[in-house]
Amino acid sequence: MAQITPEVVLSYTKPASGYLCPLNANTFGIEFLKFEIKEYDTNTVVYQVAREPDSEPLPEVLDPEIEDMIRSVKYTFPASFLKFKTVRTLLEFCVGPQPVSNLRMIERHFFKDKLVRTYDFEFGFCIPNSTNSWEAIYDVPEYPAGVINDYVTSPWAHKSDSFYFVDNKLIMHNKAEYQYVQD
Amino acid sequence: MRVLMVGLDNAGKTTIVKRLNGEDITTISPTLGFNIKTMSFKGYKLNIWDIGGQKTLRPYWRNYYEKTDALIWVVDSADLARLEDCRAELHNLLREERLFGATLLIFANKQDIASALPVAELEKALNIGSITKRHCRVVACSAVDGSGLLEGFDFVVHDISSRIYLFS
Ligand SMILES: Nc1nc2c(ncn2[C@@H]2O[C@H](COP(=O)(O)OP(=O)(O)O)[C@@H](O)[C@H]2O)c(=O)[nH]1
Ligand SMILES: [Mg+2]
Repeated sequence: MAQITPEVVLSYTKPASGYLCPLNANTFGIEFLKFEIKEYDTNTVVYQVAREPDSEPLPEVLDPEIEDMIRSVKYTFPASFLKFKTVRTLLEFCVGPQPVSNLRMIERHFFKDKLVRTYDFEFGFCIPNSTNSWEAIYDVPEYPAGVINDYVTSPWAHKSDSFYFVDNKLIMHNKAEYQYVQD
Repeated sequence: MRVLMVGLDNAGKTTIVKRLNGEDITTISPTLGFNIKTMSFKGYKLNIWDIGGQKTLRPYWRNYYEKTDALIWVVDSADLARLEDCRAELHNLLREERLFGATLLIFANKQDIASALPVAELEKALNIGSITKRHCRVVACSAVDGSGLLEGFDFVVHDISSRIYLFS
């Protein structure tokens, strides 16, 4: 397999097929502990998940279905989410005993196989055995009513790939699918 | 704009960032790494890097100096016992070449506490007078009652933007 670099994933024009690195590419013990999405103005929680760090490493060989369960998420959001003006996301993660020299996240969002948004964030260095957080507060562009309707009537057509690189080497790749329901 | 926020542990760094956003400040636990906050302030996009200040974490600060536009040093003005430690760490940091161009804001935090040192005395204790050749301001503040925070961040974004304007 060709080396997957940030440039490569930034050139994708539709969701990646399959996972572009094995689970054990994450040799740094990076684990996500908490992810939260809130509407900023009302402080309403839209999504929240938290977990303790793994007590045991994953087995070497995983059933593909179980692997998919670990690496992909299906989100169901209220349609009003598409009308939020300002969104706040919080990601909390820990790293293992090795220093992480340069962590970068690239997230690509597609709707009906068309690129709609890219997030590209450089965390940089992570301290050994640290727990870190990244909170982003950002304004969401206003969607025309037709677009909102399109998202609502096309469940799971919104997909995303999240890629994590250390020194430009892919160490994690997760996927998500979204549906929006009328509230 | 990349803002690096450091200082001794317990100075109030995390509380200041939360308070600036009007968030709940009653449940803050010690920072065991970094807390990055991406937000807009007065039309500017800020990436604030709040790094843990415990003794074991301080040697790692140097990994976060690159591309820093402003340095915010937070002081617990009521922690008289650690003022000398605070002074030494601050001046260590200011010797760092990669931070020479950065705007410096010193937050004299916890001014709501009765025993807190007033700014003039704090400046003496931290030897602020010796800091020349850089844009530096000391602002009295309290993360608990919110006073001084806007003044401090205003200074930071204005100073950075005037510099960016000058060199672009
Ligand atoms: N009285 C008072 N307490 C404060 C102030 N700012 C922070 N604190 C408290 O100081 C402690 C340490 O704050 P924290 O933000 O975790 O410090 P950090 O280690 O610098 O991030 C917490 O118990 C805060 O509630 C302040 O302005 N006044
Ligand atoms: Mg802190």
